[in-house]
Amino acid sequence: MKWLSTRRALALMIAPAFAVYSLYFAYPIGYSLYQSFTNAQAFGSTKLVGGKNYVQMVRDTLFWGSLRNTGIILLVSLVILLPGAFFLAHLLSGRVKGAGALRAMVFAPNVIAPILIGLIWVFILDPHIGLVNSLLHTLGVQHPPVWIGGTTLSPWSIGVVYTWQTVGFIMTIFYAGIRMLPHDVMEAASLDGATGWQRLRYVTVPMLQETFGITTVLVVTGVFKIFELVFQLTGGGPVHLSETLVSYTYWMTFSNQKYGYGMALAVVISLLGVVVTVAQMAFMRRRRAS
Amino acid sequence: MSTLSTTAPRLVRPDAPPSQRRPRRRRLGIAAIVAYLVTFVLILPMAWVVLLSFQSNDNILRDPLNFSHLSWANYSTAMSTLNLMTMYKNTLILAVVSVSVGVVISFTAAYALTRMVFRRPGLQKSLRFYFLAGLAIPVYILLFPVYKLNIELGLYGTYAALILPYIATQLPFNMLLFTGFLADFPGEIEEAAIIDGAGLFTLSWRVVFPLMRPVIATLLILNIIYVWNEFPFAVTLINNPAMTTISLGVSQFQGFWTVDYGAMMASATLVLLPQLALYGIFQRYVVAGMTFGAVKG
Repeated sequence: MKWLSTRRALALMIAPAFAVYSLYFAYPIGYSLYQSFTNAQAFGSTKLVGGKNYVQMVRDTLFWGSLRNTGIILLVSLVILLPGAFFLAHLLSGRVKGAGALRAMVFAPNVIAPILIGLIWVFILDPHIGLVNSLLHTLGVQHPPVWIGGTTLSPWSIGVVYTWQTVGFIMTIFYAGIRMLPHDVMEAASLDGATGWQRLRYVTVPMLQETFGITTVLVVTGVFKIFELVFQLTGGGPVHLSETLVSYTYWMTFSNQKYGYGMALAVVISLLGVVVTVAQMAFMRRRRAS
Repeated sequence: MSTLSTTAPRLVRPDAPPSQRRPRRRRLGIAAIVAYLVTFVLILPMAWVVLLSFQSNDNILRDPLNFSHLSWANYSTAMSTLNLMTMYKNTLILAVVSVSVGVVISFTAAYALTRMVFRRPGLQKSLRFYFLAGLAIPVYILLFPVYKLNIELGLYGTYAALILPYIATQLPFNMLLFTGFLADFPGEIEEAAIIDGAGLFTLSWRVVFPLMRPVIATLLILNIIYVWNEFPFAVTLINNPAMTTISLGVSQFQGFWTVDYGAMMASATLVLLPQLALYGIFQRYVVAGMTFGAVKG
């Protein structure tokens, strides 16, 4: 092998990947970092302004608003998505007839384009033409809630849509965890007279601790990357009230054309991504060790 | 699996007659009903879009729950107005080129970085880290710089403007899987091939690559789904209607059809159903592939 590993062979094999990755991944990150310290915008000359963009962010109420909305989506996901996915996995790992087919159906939204998911949910949640309010009207509700596009509910609704989109994925991970539980422990628990609920509470859940850790990390990373749902459901509006970090960054860069500030926002999102990934790797390492 | 439950007597043999197992059965029945109900609610949004696509616009606005006048009219409107074929063609070109090139170049790089011998092992290690570091970065920081870069390189408005970033963003994960599997690859097979006189090309492509089939299948599925559904790059890098991809096209439905909701739903169905059908066929591999990283660690 050493004999085959000539310098030329190595260079030839690594060069294509290295070139594409450096030019279209590494260089753009450096470029964004640099731009985040400038006042670059569509018109006018660009000059370095130090940390001004980052200072501006602290005082930017729209930034804090979009952070808050991202937090709301995360909250909804942690409260509904995680437990929901776990119970669904528990339900579909039992002896329900056709459980395999049900699992496949629940997973389906994960392969659909997120932009299409957004459109689908417009027709569920839209205050005027959506299914939910049509049903509420039929039931005699005079003023049903404005699920999307209003001033308060949008991020909560986006959290619900995100839950719908990902529940099958998270459920599959829990399902794999449940399947790997040692059979004899369950048997012992039931022989000791543990009820179904007790087995769930005192055996299954504690033994799936790491799976809960991994799914939590996956949900956190996922929520910070939500973009298409906002784009389709509310466009961030009205007046930026339903903006998330990513959609606000996108608007600042491409619609408002304040490139310097937009890149500073993008850098903050990336830093969050790095922090979460490092946490994820710590989890994985611990899991591999055990 | 035991047949015990709260109300059952403590010691029922597994082969006990059905009458003694009844409590367990009933509980399973409730579990099944809940499972069916939840699944039904979860697939309802998709079913709703398909249903609406057969409704007249009037009905969608006034009485969407009235299903007495379903027709194919929206589909003829959608087919004759919207250029779905172009969208499919563009997406297919992007997917085939970026995924095949991406898998090939990440395999050769991963092979060199795990199996071959560097004079400076430190360089090999840092290159591996360099490629994997991208896993931590969300793509959104790349959008604007890549847009500028494409203009600088004169690629803006071509397929390459999308193919290159698609390859780049998939590289870290491809490298992760390939290096992971190649690190565990048995050295005896390689040694035998080298003794038989195999050169580097034969060794990597004819001997090792075919043995990586499960990894390659996983990567193909993940990469194709990524490119097929990709939106952020498509919306920033495509300005030519003739190059519109499926995701970009769907994002424009609301502006394109404005209040013709029926035609909009027919168009959405024409994007949704092929995707669901493909998923149905490859479901096992898709689920395994997508959860691979999280389940296997």
